Amino acid sequence: MNTHEYQAKTLLQKYGIPTPPFEVVSSREEAEAALLKLGIEEGVVKVQVHAGGRGKAGGVKLGKILPLVDEMLGMRIQNQQTGAKGVIANQLLITPAVDIAKEYYLAAVIDRERAEPILMASKEGGMEIEENPDRIVKVSFDEVEKLVALMEWDDQGREIAQNLAKAFLECDGSLLEINPLVLTKEGELLAVDAKFSIDDNALFRHPDIAKWYDPTQSTEGEVMAKEYDLAYIGLEGEIGCLVNGAGLAMATMDIIHFYGGKPANFLDVGGGATKEQVAHGFKIILSDPSVKSIFVNIFGGIMDCGVLAEGIVAASKEGVHVPLVVRMEGTNVEIGKKILKESGLDIITADTMADGAIKAVKWQS
Amino acid sequence: MAVLIDKETKVITQGITGKSGTFHTEQGIAYGSTYVGGVTPKKGGQKHLGLPVFNTVLEAKETTGCTASLVFVPAPFAAKAILEAEEAGIELIVCITEGIPVRDMLEVSHVMKKSKSRLIGPNCPGIITPDGCKIGIMPGYIHKRGKVGIVSRSGTLTYEAVWQTTEEGLGQSTCVGIGGDPLNGTNFIDMLELFEKDPETEGILMIGEIGGTAEEEAAEWIAAHGTKPIVSLIAGITAPPGRRMGHAGAIISGGKGTAEEKIKALEKAGVVVAKTPSVIGETLKKVMHA
Repeated sequence: MNTHEYQAKTLLQKYGIPTPPFEVVSSREEAEAALLKLGIEEGVVKVQVHAGGRGKAGGVKLGKILPLVDEMLGMRIQNQQTGAKGVIANQLLITPAVDIAKEYYLAAVIDRERAEPILMASKEGGMEIEENPDRIVKVSFDEVEKLVALMEWDDQGREIAQNLAKAFLECDGSLLEINPLVLTKEGELLAVDAKFSIDDNALFRHPDIAKWYDPTQSTEGEVMAKEYDLAYIGLEGEIGCLVNGAGLAMATMDIIHFYGGKPANFLDVGGGATKEQVAHGFKIILSDPSVKSIFVNIFGGIMDCGVLAEGIVAASKEGVHVPLVVRMEGTNVEIGKKILKESGLDIITADTMADGAIKAVKWQS
Repeated sequence: MAVLIDKETKVITQGITGKSGTFHTEQGIAYGSTYVGGVTPKKGGQKHLGLPVFNTVLEAKETTGCTASLVFVPAPFAAKAILEAEEAGIELIVCITEGIPVRDMLEVSHVMKKSKSRLIGPNCPGIITPDGCKIGIMPGYIHKRGKVGIVSRSGTLTYEAVWQTTEEGLGQSTCVGIGGDPLNGTNFIDMLELFEKDPETEGILMIGEIGGTAEEEAAEWIAAHGTKPIVSLIAGITAPPGRRMGHAGAIISGGKGTAEEKIKALEKAGVVVAKTPSVIGETLKKVMHA
């Protein structure tokens, strides 16, 4: 789960990592009150959205704060990470500008190959860090001293690195990043921007962080999918996909692409999907107006094709207004095919993944 | 011979009295595997599916002589269950559970590195040697004893591949799902080594997906040690960067872990990468000249 910058900063503060003072507002009135609290009129306004690259997308501005609040509240940030629709800025972070002497990058992540958490740091923090991966130093959590030496930090830096590692582990982070970690002209290290993602599978241990879930930062389909406990990701294409299993779901998108189509989504209804999950899957796919055909690709394992066919029929009766291609294989496939046939519904059947993909591309309405 | 498991392998199920544990133990027995008991804390002494239930893995091992364990324990407690099996000296631990926190798996990985036990998974369909032993959730009947060793990060995509190799008349020696999580036990290279040594395995199918660098590392191993024909499929060519595609481990992050990179590395190592998921079986047949 992703969180907002202000939430990440709140977490950092809790672990003794200093940040500049800030206030979060969602209206002009709140902004006016925030300025009194902060004692500033000019400063930095930052959109609070679940997307990187905010600066480049016009979501971070310096100047007289109130006019900026008027301008930036409700703006949409759109870039490669957000998809075409972008994400809305319902909240703004207001903070005084900082006199920067130097910018560092500091983050904690899980290194999959080493199967351990690591700290990453660079003397060249800021917006371009991702384009210079070779300038990033990686050390394990017990090598903080090495990092401190390489960054030429004093006790302040050491404490921040140690606390970041602690926060990362205790909060089950999948990413905890400070970029930039600013050395001010006064010689103080401050977390000027921060990002925190938590391991979804560990949310049960962190009810306070789980409350930070912000549905306004996801698409309607993704919010519905979360409610139904399905894995769904909206994409730019026109062919809706309903598949059981994540690997098969990706492979289905790939084969649609191979035959000249564009998948509208990734949707995994689960290796052992139920009738209800299939019905929910249809609902989500149909909430996307760009869908022109649907490709259902199911390999029945434990869940048999008969049950899945019933789910498809039930969903279709509620109204599927685009061509529906179904490819089923596996347990009780004959029963499943029979149910589809006898339903009298206008369902295009396919024998293989390739056949299904070709038909789904061809029959786009 | 096949690898890791056969008809003689004595298996227990951790979490045997739960719904999934019950169902899949039943299925495993019906397939002809040798299940000898199960573990559910506080239910020791009972009988379930005609098998003895124990409070701990150690008790189960001492009484039944089991060497393999199927873990169906819910995610918040699964890591502990794996560690318990390891401590009891179970040789093969197969964990099906999806959704184990990464922090828990860090500890498991740390222990497994120095352990004599082997962990398969978590978040995987398990392992099967057709007509011999099934430790997992895969539908048994799609398999046919034969000559292809299959190793995969996926579940249903593996079934798809299995089915195609069955249809092509190739059959399988052993199929292993290594799981879709970022941290897992057995990896591609472990399985490639075993398949390489196994006389029954004449060809290998390796199914990877976006995220991490396990496929690239496998490609390096293949270039140096591989002698058997290998076909691969990498899922996620069309996956957008920065998004987790269903599996916790299937994510392109910071531009790393793309399908393109993996395909390039594998092809460079002499692996034939199937053009689409629909032609895995026929590609393998061609490559094996079978």
